[in-house]
Formats: sequence, structure tokens, C-alpha cells
Amino acid sequence: MTTTLTPGPAAPAPVTPERPSAVTPADLRRAGARRQARWARAKTWTGAVCTLVVVVPVVLAGLLPLPDPDTQDLGARRLAPFTDGHLFGTDQLGRDLLSRVLHGGQTSLMIGVLAIIVSGLIGIVLGSLAGFFGGWVDAVISRLLEAQMSLPLLLMLLLVVALFGPSIPVITLVIAIAQWPEVGRLTRSLVLREREKPYVAAATVLGLSRVAVLARHVVPNVLRQATLVVLLLLAQAVLLESALSYLGAGPERPFATWGRIISDGQDYITTSWWLVTLPGLFIVLLVVGVNLLGDGLRDRTRRADKEA
Amino acid sequence: MTTYVLKRLGQSVLTLFLTLTTVFVLLRLAPGDPAAAYAGPNPTTEDLARIRAQFGLDDSLLGQYGTFLANLVRGDLGTSFSFQAPALDVVLDRLPYTLTLAVSAILVTAVVAVPLGVWMARHVHTGREFGANLFTIAGQSMPDFWSGIMLLTLFAVVLPVFPASGFATWGGLVLPTLTIAVLQIALISRMVAREMSTNMTSPFLTVARSRGVSERGLTWRYGMTNSAIPVLTALGTRFAAMLNGVVVVEVVFAWPGVGSLVVRALETRDYPLIQATVLVTAVLTVAVQLLIDLAYPLLDPRVRLTKTSGRSASPATAPSAQTAQEAVPA
Repeated sequence: MTTTLTPGPAAPAPVTPERPSAVTPADLRRAGARRQARWARAKTWTGAVCTLVVVVPVVLAGLLPLPDPDTQDLGARRLAPFTDGHLFGTDQLGRDLLSRVLHGGQTSLMIGVLAIIVSGLIGIVLGSLAGFFGGWVDAVISRLLEAQMSLPLLLMLLLVVALFGPSIPVITLVIAIAQWPEVGRLTRSLVLREREKPYVAAATVLGLSRVAVLARHVVPNVLRQATLVVLLLLAQAVLLESALSYLGAGPERPFATWGRIISDGQDYITTSWWLVTLPGLFIVLLVVGVNLLGDGLRDRTRRADKEA
Repeated sequence: MTTYVLKRLGQSVLTLFLTLTTVFVLLRLAPGDPAAAYAGPNPTTEDLARIRAQFGLDDSLLGQYGTFLANLVRGDLGTSFSFQAPALDVVLDRLPYTLTLAVSAILVTAVVAVPLGVWMARHVHTGREFGANLFTIAGQSMPDFWSGIMLLTLFAVVLPVFPASGFATWGGLVLPTLTIAVLQIALISRMVAREMSTNMTSPFLTVARSRGVSERGLTWRYGMTNSAIPVLTALGTRFAAMLNGVVVVEVVFAWPGVGSLVVRALETRDYPLIQATVLVTAVLTVAVQLLIDLAYPLLDPRVRLTKTSGRSASPATAPSAQTAQEAVPA
């Protein structure tokens, strides 16, 4: 028994080819398609981890043992990170930065998620109508898409927020309206391809109305790809919201959101680097995470579609 | 050709008209009485009526709109409240700064992003491409105001190489350009890589290779010429977006351009100035888009503007957004 356990020179890999081939398993492992699959997996997982590292603490902000985000302590102004139990340090008014970032993140995330739900709904409904019915429906919706894409976007967003006040519903709606063209355009092109498939003709022959065919058969088949883009839009929505609040057009209640925290900390950048750096890294981590996740999932879907 | 140009011009005018109408309606829909805001505290009813008459606010909404359009045709966009000068002049004064920034940013982007994208396409599925990919994802995930402040701190405060703000010297151009370019390079290089890797596996490329064309020739003469239209479209769209004022970056670096002007106009509710800014930037955007469309046949002789209908004239409208932030305005 012992002899079999002694480590000897590594035995050659047991190659038992079912058919003679010059392509070794090692070659297969190195092949581009395999690598791509591994990277898609790696991206998905890394993305999921980055996203969760940000999302979980933000969601649980109320439950974590953190100081109140609005309690000022003028005796403890601009403490460096890791002093007196302030993990991220304190800001110019002695408020705990980590607590502010997490509580503000709740608003940022909520706006982002609501915005992509609204823009996803508008985009999928209008996009699929345009793609499926064509004709004047398509003409109207496509014109609308083009017109909106040639508008100065951030300018319009700022305008609306400045005029109607920086409340959460206004900002959510504004971001959603800014984003629906992405989803609309993609859904339209997906539906255009989908409607030529035989099952659509079959459903029509069976006597389903056009709307029923669209809603019950076509849309469910394009939904997966469309929702992936919506996921990527979440990253964009978070960035837009932070840009708005950096420019002073973000929600103030209940808590200042990320862009505002950074803009407040900007004045102290020479002495207190953490006020800007840490909240920014928090945004970057979330957005990188969501982007990687969306990218990885899309690579997988694409491959699955190719094999199908 | 002429018909096509006329048709596109008509479309452009329609877009401009819609934009201005939207802004006009938004301004009037917004809660708050501009007359009360203008009059100051405790105005009498007579005061308010006088101010309304002075600015034509007592007219019906349709009447106001008519006056607005009539003045617009004469090139009169009103007087800026806060500058006490013709609104159009105020905007045009700021425009050169935004133009300088936008041109320098798009040049840097093109010079870096196109070779980078080609390089990524040539090393597709390798560790190098994967690394470059991670880099571009990081690049497009940074909020531009944050990366701006970071660059500012590093290269103007910690290592005082460049001036921190304004446009006193050409050195002041470096950091804002870099801030914009990081994001744009990430977006454009990914797009170039996607286009090129499709082209590089096309049959015409295999044929060219079998005829003994060098790899360099394959990449640039066969691959790149066929990607030229989408790449140019993407660069042009980005450039047009920058002309709207790279609002955030201008604010971070106190750049005296249109973007920081907009923020100020919004803060002071300077309606004529807002309308003038929207008009000027929309005209520029539409003009750039028109020029791109007209450049297609020069880049690709297969495109003939006369034969296609106005709508499908662009064989490759901006490629569908693949990753978040592609649609974020610069």
C-alpha cells in the first residue's frame, strides 16, 4: 500500500481519446471559446461580489451599529479613518462618514432601482410595439427615440430638476425618461427578429389576436435579453443620480446622497482626502460590480443563444 | 444628394423646433410665478400686473409662444436677468472655451481609443484583451466629477504640475481633457474592439490574407476601413454630446464654458439664458450629426445618400448600447 502512495514523477495525463485527434484536452482548455466562457463566469462572480459588498451594507444601514448620519459632533470634525471607531472617519461637521455614505446610498440605490423599473417598462412596451406593429406606430416611436437622443440630455435633466424641485419622484422619473431609449431601441430590434419566427405565424393561425401574440409569446422571448440591458442601466442610473446631486440637484431628504457628500467634501480635499475618496470608491465599486455582472451575464446569454 | 441634404436639413430644423418647444413648455409648466420672483418681497397686485405686462406674461400661453417664436426668428432670445446682456451673446462668449475643451478631449480620445480598440481586437480571447477589458470597465465606472477631483488633487495639489482651475494657460487644459478622455477612451475602445473583431473574422479578410496581404495591411486597410463608419459615428456623437457643455467637468475645474454657465443660469432661474443655451447647444449638436451623415459616402463608397430614404441613410447608426454609461452625456 505504502509504495503506491509515494509521490513519483507525475504520470502523463490519462489520454483516452475516443477518436484519434491531434487536439489534446489541453488545447481544448486553451481554446478561445473556453477561455471566454471562463472569463464570463469570472466576470459574473466578481461583479456579483462587488455589487453585494456595496448593496448589503447599504440595505442594512439601519440595522448596523452605526452612529446617526445626521448627528453632528463639532468636537470630532474631520477625523481620519479608523479613529474613535469611525471606520471612514468623520466629515466637516463631525458626522460619521460611513454612516452617511450607507444611509445616502439607500436613497441613491432606491432611485436607481425605481428608475430602471420605470424605464424598463416604458422601453419594453414601446419598443416591442414599434418592432411588432411597424408602420406608423414604428415611425412615431422611432422618431421619438431619435429626437430624444439628439437632445442635450444632462441639460434637460438639470432643467427639469431645477424647475420641479429635487424630490425623489422627480429625479427618478427624469432618469427613467432619460434611459428608456436604450431599452426601447434594443427591444425593438429584438422583436423585429423574433416576429419572423414560425411560432408567431402559428399563434396567429391559431386565432390569437395580434396583441395577445405580442404580449404572451413574443415579449416573454425577448425579455431576458432586454432585462440584461436594464441591469446595465442601473449602473448608469446610479452615476446619473450622483452627477445630479454633485451639481446640487439631488435629493436632500432624508439623507444627502453620494454626489452631494463628495461635493461637500471637495472643499476639504487638501487636508481630508477621505471625504471625497472613500464615497467615490464606494460608487466605483458598485458601478464596476454592476457592469461586470451585466457584462458577464450578457456574454453567457450570447453564447447560449449561439449554441441554441 | 441635394434632395437628401434638404430632407436632413428639414429634419434638423424639426428637431430644433421640438427641443425649443419642450423647453418653453417646461419653463411655463414649472410651479412658481416668475413675476413674483422678479418683483421681490411683498409686491402689490399692481406691481405684479405691471411686471407681467412688461415681460408679456399676461398674454395667453399660446400668445407667449407666438411672441417667443417671432423673436426667435429675428435672433432675439431676450435679455439675461443676471448678466443684463443679450442672452445669446452671453452664451456665444462662453462657447469658445467649451469648444476648445471638447476638441482637445475628442482628439485625445480618438488617438488613444482607436489603436487600443484595434489592439484589443487583435488579441481577442487572450489575457491581454481581458486585462484591457477590465481597464475599460473601470474607466467607465468612475463618476467623472470624482475622477476629476482625484486628478486635481494628485496633479495640482500633491504634485503641483498643472493649474487647478480655469483656463489661464494651456496647462489648464490638461486635467479637464484627461478627465473626459478617460471615460470616452473606455467607451470608444470597447466599441472599436467589437467592430474590429467582427470584421477580422469576415470572409473578405480571409481572402485578403490568402492573397498575402500583411497583417498590418489586413488590420488597417481591410479591417479599419470597414469599421470607419460606426467608429466615426460614435466619435461624432460623443463630440456632439460634449458641445452641450461638459457640465460636470466644467464645474469641477471652474472652466468658463457653457456647462458652468448652464448651472448658474438654472440656479438663478435665468429663463432667457436657459433658452439661449439650449438653442445654441442644440444647433451645434444637430449640425455635427448632419456633418457625420454627410461624411458617410466619403468613407464608404457603398453608401449613396440619394438612393436611401432619409431614415435609413445611415447604414450604421450608433451601435446599440452594450454597457452602461454609453449613453451618459459627457
